[in-house]
Amino acid sequence: MIWSHEYFVNREDVRLYVYRKRATAPQAGESAKPVLLLVHGSTVSGRNTYDLQVPGGQDYSVMDHFAALGYDVWTVDHEGYGRSSWSGRGNSDVRTGAKDLAAVVPFILQETGTEKINIFGSSSGALRACLYTEAHPETVARLGLSALVYTGAGSPTLEQRRKKLPEYSASPRRKVDLAFYEGMFNRDKPGSSEDSVPKAIAAAELPLVSEVPTGTYVDMCANLPLARPEAIPCPTLVIRGEFDGIAAEPDLLDFFARLPTKDKQFVVLSGIAHNPMMGVVRNKFHRALENFLKAPL
Amino acid sequence: MPNIQWSGGQEHWTHKGDIRLFMWHKPATVQPAPAGTILFVHGSSMASQPTFDLHVPGRPHSSVMDWFAARGFDTWCMDNEGYGRSDKHRPINFDISNGADDLAAGSDYIFQTTGAKQLLVYGISSGALKAALFAQRHPECVSKLALDAFVWTGEGSPTLAERKKKLPEFLAKNSRPIDRAFVHSIFNRDHPACADEATKDAFADAILTLDSSMPTGTYVDMCSKLPLVDPLQIKAACLIMRGEYDGIASVDDLLKFFQLLPCTNKQFSVMQGISHASFQQKNHLMVYQILHSFFSQPEPSYRG
Repeated sequence: MIWSHEYFVNREDVRLYVYRKRATAPQAGESAKPVLLLVHGSTVSGRNTYDLQVPGGQDYSVMDHFAALGYDVWTVDHEGYGRSSWSGRGNSDVRTGAKDLAAVVPFILQETGTEKINIFGSSSGALRACLYTEAHPETVARLGLSALVYTGAGSPTLEQRRKKLPEYSASPRRKVDLAFYEGMFNRDKPGSSEDSVPKAIAAAELPLVSEVPTGTYVDMCANLPLARPEAIPCPTLVIRGEFDGIAAEPDLLDFFARLPTKDKQFVVLSGIAHNPMMGVVRNKFHRALENFLKAPL
Repeated sequence: MPNIQWSGGQEHWTHKGDIRLFMWHKPATVQPAPAGTILFVHGSSMASQPTFDLHVPGRPHSSVMDWFAARGFDTWCMDNEGYGRSDKHRPINFDISNGADDLAAGSDYIFQTTGAKQLLVYGISSGALKAALFAQRHPECVSKLALDAFVWTGEGSPTLAERKKKLPEFLAKNSRPIDRAFVHSIFNRDHPACADEATKDAFADAILTLDSSMPTGTYVDMCSKLPLVDPLQIKAACLIMRGEYDGIASVDDLLKFFQLLPCTNKQFSVMQGISHASFQQKNHLMVYQILHSFFSQPEPSYRG
């Protein structure tokens, strides 16, 4: 049985929900386990992205998977998402999300007794993770990014999303429902995930929220590039799903080439669309991230 | 000359027409059935065993064949025509295309001997070019292709810019002499500290036990005939392994090649603290782990 614990960390007047899983409960005096912080995307909160319980499904929980491998795994619901509070100010954009991480990471370092952590972010979570790493490189051991977009050039998904930019810009919140979740999984490649996945997300999310912030959507439609690869010094992994429409491969290779680190990987995973941890072939995602996180021998 | 012993493997011979080719096999040392069958392909200036089965006193896991065999892989390497124990009598310069023909003969032998249906192929330097050309010609034989110290067009390559100065000399002869200093120069031209002196010496000993000169064909190819490989024709899953300090290619050249690979199962890894001859360097275990990760990545159950 995986051990879990809930926390709340404040960023100004915002209460951020933080969730942790490990193979066993922490014991006084034990040596620190490697820490992995998972950063969610624009629509689904942290716990429901990375600890999703799908009826009849196996190994959907990234937290359980990496906890079983010996990691101390954390995630956070960003402002206005899931179990975290909403200040009513702004639209919880990518920069705000990076500030959330800047509030949460010191708490994780304190609780775990480590000096550096591994961070993985997906979609706008990858952008939040990049911005956080740029600002606090001394705290990040290795950085994993999936469903990343850099400049947005050639992105089919963002081209579609921009049609609604006036709507997203006009309001700090947008409605979510089962149909929206289903659209997330069907827009790139129907069949690359099981139908039970958006239903499981709806069952987990809709009791918590009926709206989520618009900030990361506005950023990705109008404010790219947000990340500066030249300012990311740590070892970095870029995972690209074969069917992911959020970015064009040349855009991501441009990002990859600019990373100054001499320890970096660009992995294209076949059979995977925008949400690698929730796809039919999520085992390939687990393997790619696991292999990268292993410290060089 | 030191008494170099090759142990723990089985010697095999196959033919390409009337040319005899030497092969070296180290089977998986753990059960159950092999996790895959690996064919390692050597570069321009050394035969196969010095590169892939080198033992250095005090250096842990020095033999990449032993390391993969211990993880359940059936491992093979072979001396290309003109190298090591394979035939050297033809008056040709044993170029990359000829080497790719050798791999076709060697892979046929492996399939017949083991019952394997496809190979995991690793090539280094001009061995990567031979491996890629082989995969291009025989896509049915290769499930995964790992290209280490690879070069595509040669654009922006410091090493090839230097090597081209001697192209007339390489064109004039089918072979070039090598010695201990030459083997050391493979390490010292990019970043000497990447490898320790004991390993450089052991590598030189092993190479010079088998050869005192090397064919010029792969050098001529890399200096004057690139590109030899068309990425659009490579169907296998592909890993590009790029040493941080390797001068054989520019990163830009390799990323352009990578982008054109049609396979949606592909990976580009930059390897820290590595120059050109990765398995003989201080970070060799990191290199093994990157290669193992790729070779053991599960096949997708969903392909769209």
